[in-house]
This record gives sequence, structure tokens and C-alpha cells, in this order.
Amino acid sequence: MKVTLRIQRYNPERDSEPYYQEFIVEAGDEKERILDLLHQVKWKFDGTLTFRRSCAHGVCGSDGIRINGRNRLACSTLLRDVNYRKPIVIEPLPSIPIIKDLIVDMSDFYRKYEAVKPYMVNNSPPPEHERYQSNDDAEKLFESAKCILCACCTTSCPSSWSDDNYIGPAALLKAYRFVFDTRDEAADERLDAVDTPDGIWRCHTIFNCVEACPKEINLTWHISQLKKRLTEREM
Amino acid sequence: MYKHTGSRGSGAPGWVLQRITGLLLVIVVIGHYFVMHADPASGHTYAAVLERMHHPLWKMFDLTFITVGLWHGLNGTWGIFRDYKMKPAVSLTIYGVIILSGIAFWVLGVNTILSF
Repeated sequence: MKVTLRIQRYNPERDSEPYYQEFIVEAGDEKERILDLLHQVKWKFDGTLTFRRSCAHGVCGSDGIRINGRNRLACSTLLRDVNYRKPIVIEPLPSIPIIKDLIVDMSDFYRKYEAVKPYMVNNSPPPEHERYQSNDDAEKLFESAKCILCACCTTSCPSSWSDDNYIGPAALLKAYRFVFDTRDEAADERLDAVDTPDGIWRCHTIFNCVEACPKEINLTWHISQLKKRLTEREM
Repeated sequence: MYKHTGSRGSGAPGWVLQRITGLLLVIVVIGHYFVMHADPASGHTYAAVLERMHHPLWKMFDLTFITVGLWHGLNGTWGIFRDYKMKPAVSLTIYGVIILSGIAFWVLGVNTILSF
């Protein structure tokens, strides 16, 4: 069957602003992935079409794009997930600078991510074996540890759209990941990093991040737990 | 890295107080409705207001209403403004207007309540 892709294009060396270009591609059935169709465009019609992808199986998080107005992974979105009888609108993730076509500049996203120290901090002498953790304590971290840093959540958040200094749900989720880790010793530093005017208090539980997350992480719940921990510490 | 004019330390107390005052306002607004609006024939005349306002408990009720309502409303307004990226001068101006208007309306309200 024929499917029309309406792709946002932008080449900074040539275009003054982004524009849309339509391609009609052949899809085998409705289990075909949007990523396969993008490959078809790039390999058969226009080799200059630029997009990121790596593992192509929903693990690396590099092919986050906007499909029919929703932030999703191109590799995890099948034709049957979208209305393919009409042109499928493919755009880069919103609210962050476009480098070319569907590739966005993730520098600011990673800068905010780094602000919460996304790594284990434990300065006590290492034990003879590994640092133990109970099953119950580990269970609290499993969901937050599933994040693949695709930026679908942060770029879907209205607070990020109105204030690009807002730290964003992805960084807040990572802060949760370590603040609630019983082996970590830098909870206060992470809480300080998110307790800023452009930090956690700009989250208004809009739930766009939860809807956008391809790993089905309930980010709003995790951010609420961080708010609770902060209020317990401050009051 | 993430500096914003007008901030004072942690945002936690403000966040919690906004919720506590919100809950208080629900109770106070329901009380206000029954006193002033449930029965259109009562509560609006000068004599009724004068009688009510001579009672210390009603004065406390109205002082609480004006304090909690103003704080909740203006803190909420400031919160909405802070959702947007602003230049420091704009941010400081808006913050100043909110603080000054809050003080002015509070003094006006308290003065009115205590004059009875």
C-alpha cells in the first residue's frame, strides 16, 4: 500500500526556515515501522534526508521525532499506531534548535541532565563484595532506570516550551533515580540542583511527559516523589 | 546555571503553602458563600454587616480570608509569570508590582475590617 509522509525539512546552509516535503512510499503492511519508511525515503528518493537512528529497536533512544503531533520513537511506532490513510506528518522534536531536517541539538538537554549528577556518588570505602541493596529498595528504582534519554518527555513539556531554562522531566527522573538509591551519598547535592526557580517547581503535573515516554515511565509520579522528599527536607 | 531574579532559597515552602492556602480558601469561600450569597435577602445590608463585624470571630474570619486569598492569588500569579523566560529587569519589575500591590490591598483590607 502507498503511504504519504509529510516531512519537515531544513538545511541551515540553504533554507531560511523549515518547510514540508511530501514523499509517497510503499509499505508492506501496517506492522511496518515509521523508521523503515524514513529509510525508504533516504535510500530511494532523497539521500539528503537527515535523521538519527542507531539500534532501531527502542533501546538507544536516538530516533525521537514528532509523528502526527506526538513525540515518539520512529523505530517503535508502527503504521497501525498512526492514521496512515492521511499524510503522516514527521517533524523534529519541538522546542529545541534544529541542526538539520529531523536532527535536533541535544546539548542543552544533556547540560541539564549533567546538572543532577547522573552517576553513583559513594565516597565510603568499597566493601569486599558489591554494595548490597534489598529487593524492595531496588524495586523503587527499576522504572526510573528504564529511561533511554530520547528527550521525548522534556520536549513535550509545556514548561520547557515556555522557559528553555527549565530543567525538564528527563533530568528530574534521573535525579529521582539516584536520590532514592540507598547506595548513593549525594542526595542533597541533587536535591539542591533541582530546587531552583527553573527546577522542579516548574512542573505542574501536566502529564505530557507521561504520554510521550516510549518506555511508559510515569515521570509525573517520580517527580512528585522528589517534591515530597524536598518538602520533607526543607520543612 | 539556573538563576532567576526574585527567588529566595528553596521553592518548597512556597509550593506547600500554595496548597495549604488553597485548601483553606475552599473552606473560607464556602463560608463566605453561605454568609453573603446563599440567601440573597440576608448579609448585604449595612446593618447586617455592622452587626457581624463587631464580633471578633467574624473579624478573624475576614482577616484570614483577605490574608490567605491575597497570598494565594499573588503567589499563583507570580508562579504563572515565572513559567516564562524573562529578562531580569522584567522579572524584577513584575515581582515588585506583585509585592507592592499585595501590601497595598492587604493594608486596605485590614484597615477596612478593623475600622468596624
